[in-house]
Amino acid sequence: MHTYNPISALLVFFSIGALLYFLFRPSKGWYWILKNQLTSNEKTIIEDVLKQLYHFENSNNKVDMKTLVHMLSFSNKKIVDAINIMTVNNLIYFESDILKLTEKGREYALRIVRVHRLWERYLAEKTGFHKIEWHDRAESMEHRLNHDEVEELSRHLGHPKFDPHGDPIPTKTGKMAQVKGVELPLLQVGAMGRITHIEDEPEVIYKQILAENIHIGSLIKVVENNVTRIVFLSEGEEFKLAPIVAANLTVAPLEKEILVEDNVTRLSSLTENETAKIIGISRESRGESRRRLLDLGFVKGAQVSIDLVNPLGEPNAYLIKGTSIALRNDQAAKILIKKD
Amino acid sequence: MKQNNIDHIIELSNELRWQIGDEFHDNLTESIYADAADIVKDTVRSKDSERRFRLDAKIDKIVTSKRFGFPIMFLILGTVLWLTIQGANYPSSLLANLLLDIIHPALKSGAAGLGMPWWLDGFLIDGVYLAVAWVIAVMLPPMAIFFPMFTLLEDFGYLPRVAFNLDALFNKSGAHGKQALTMSMGFGCNAAGVVATRIIDSPRERLIAILTNNFSLCNGRWPTQILIATIFIGAVVPKSLSSFVSLLAVIGVAVLGMVFMFGVSWGLSKTVLKGEVSTFNLELPPYRPPRFWKTIYTSLIDRTLIVLWRAIVFAAPAGAVIWLISNIHIGNESIAAWAIHSMDGFGFLLGLNGVILLAYIVAIPANEIVIPTILMLTVLVTGVGVGEGAGVMFELDSINATADVLKAGGWTLLTAINLMLFSLLHNPCSTTIYTIYKETNSVKWTVVASVMPVILGFIVTFLVAQLWRLMF
Repeated sequence: MHTYNPISALLVFFSIGALLYFLFRPSKGWYWILKNQLTSNEKTIIEDVLKQLYHFENSNNKVDMKTLVHMLSFSNKKIVDAINIMTVNNLIYFESDILKLTEKGREYALRIVRVHRLWERYLAEKTGFHKIEWHDRAESMEHRLNHDEVEELSRHLGHPKFDPHGDPIPTKTGKMAQVKGVELPLLQVGAMGRITHIEDEPEVIYKQILAENIHIGSLIKVVENNVTRIVFLSEGEEFKLAPIVAANLTVAPLEKEILVEDNVTRLSSLTENETAKIIGISRESRGESRRRLLDLGFVKGAQVSIDLVNPLGEPNAYLIKGTSIALRNDQAAKILIKKD
Repeated sequence: MKQNNIDHIIELSNELRWQIGDEFHDNLTESIYADAADIVKDTVRSKDSERRFRLDAKIDKIVTSKRFGFPIMFLILGTVLWLTIQGANYPSSLLANLLLDIIHPALKSGAAGLGMPWWLDGFLIDGVYLAVAWVIAVMLPPMAIFFPMFTLLEDFGYLPRVAFNLDALFNKSGAHGKQALTMSMGFGCNAAGVVATRIIDSPRERLIAILTNNFSLCNGRWPTQILIATIFIGAVVPKSLSSFVSLLAVIGVAVLGMVFMFGVSWGLSKTVLKGEVSTFNLELPPYRPPRFWKTIYTSLIDRTLIVLWRAIVFAAPAGAVIWLISNIHIGNESIAAWAIHSMDGFGFLLGLNGVILLAYIVAIPANEIVIPTILMLTVLVTGVGVGEGAGVMFELDSINATADVLKAGGWTLLTAINLMLFSLLHNPCSTTIYTIYKETNSVKWTVVASVMPVILGFIVTFLVAQLWRLMF
């Protein structure tokens, strides 16, 4: 051990540590980047181009080569190669500078959209990944599933109509439900509606919406709408959003005849010595957790009150059907109640 | 034609189901639940206030209050641990006396009387028998005290309140409040702690609890910690303080284990376990007087004896291996000596030595035999004149004599501190590993649970050793 000295040992240790960090750190690690480079083949690029064109055409925007290259994170050469192959295979055509989808291309694109949304639905219902990750995970999965696997997935999920953000999932035959509603900033003050869609792109805005704890399927009432901010009430709480953020929420205005339960609030807002009646469970609570809540007796019409307040703030224990059940605040926020 | 018809009907049903929409299914189930609740309300009669006894509510208010909740919790856990460690001393030494000092020599002389060859009686009696006897003597009494006490608390209904109080802390690291219970159970025995994770019904949180249970210092490791702390750490302070300081050191290691448990839970839930389904709920059952004798009986049979049996099954071959490596020679060195010398360099880097590393390898079946193995191996390589011969594990009655053997083996304060750290941060014993496999049914998670703590142990002891050498 004549060459040993603690400092050099520590140096070796930390350089190995740093190397491992740079290789394997989440998403930016060299190993992952390299792996992505190697696996992002022609098929991936073609499918991504198709999807972009599909979304642009749906929103009546026109795309030329320049925008496309800008939108996608592949090298220029790879994209040009892919475009050539797609033209040869009759998936797209040029109208002067503008790229357009052929009928066949449109069908293909729709299939990709179907896989993407089905996979998001799967992630939401059957896994514990956070909402923020659904999009990216679906983005890489959509290139991997073949036709039979997609059918199996759809069957497994009970042929769902919408993805967890409220986007319609195309059927096998390309049929798609309509999203009802308009962008939130278009509603007048005093208007009421139900949130039917929350856009998950761009991520920056989506994160803000998530941080606000806004739930899909909630009833809202607009109380202020101007160029600087939009304020609305929902489930007993007040939300303030910038118009650019609010534009990512789609709200279906309510028809007058529908009887609206008013004074609906979230179970998390219940305080000691109050009792309430359960109205239902928000659509935000999905899959296993939703079933568990129902099993425990959090069903429409049940009486609920606070049994014990937690010394650390959460979870609080709720008395339901004679049993004391502790729930965390984020769970309680998804149970809708009407206070007595 | 017929097949065609069926296909058509299926197609149609899919189409109709799609038209009905997503919420139909949910609404249907929910209205069934609601109807069921209504029917129950109308037909089932119950004495309304039965559950919320005044006494029940009062106890709950106290044990979950801001002021008393936490002190009561620590007091109870502390008492249980203290009773276990202190209370186990006497029966343990009684058992050790019987199994090691009376039966072992009797077996040896019996074997000699039968004319057994030395290698057979060494292999069977010094190897297999001794390891099994050791595990029983050290393991049985604390478990027989700890498990019944724990089960009584569980039966009374107090433990769910602990989970309730602590959930917010565990939530921050992505875990479930009930992990507080499996962790406490781990202080008794990690294998039992892993089995206890069945109370956590959320898949992700359960896996976290299983993978981090090893960071609870178990019964097999408390004696090691106490012995080493008394010899080395108690010695650096004045006599009057020494027992207090060594106790503090042991508690410090246990608390460090909890810190690692929280840290690793957090890391796991943010990385490899991110995608597992997570649900939370915690039922607070009414209190009830524990059924004393039934509890004692079931906790002895279900927990203590099962764990003990598994430990014996694994300890027997370990005893054989320990005896064999010390008695089979390659060239003019025994396998043990050869292994020790080849690991000395790595051991030095970690502030440990080859003897300790080898002892931890051969003593994977039970932490209880680590110290006897270390003593035997130290004598084997240093040739200090105590002990009973190659491959025969022993412990010394006086702490001073033990200290002399270890110091002859080149131990310093650094070795002692790092041994304490490594005793906390190393692979679970084979009983626990086997239990983890049984509970998770997955080779992958079993490997993660076994390898991750060793790597952490290497990193921590390495860093401590380098910093120590830089400072002193």
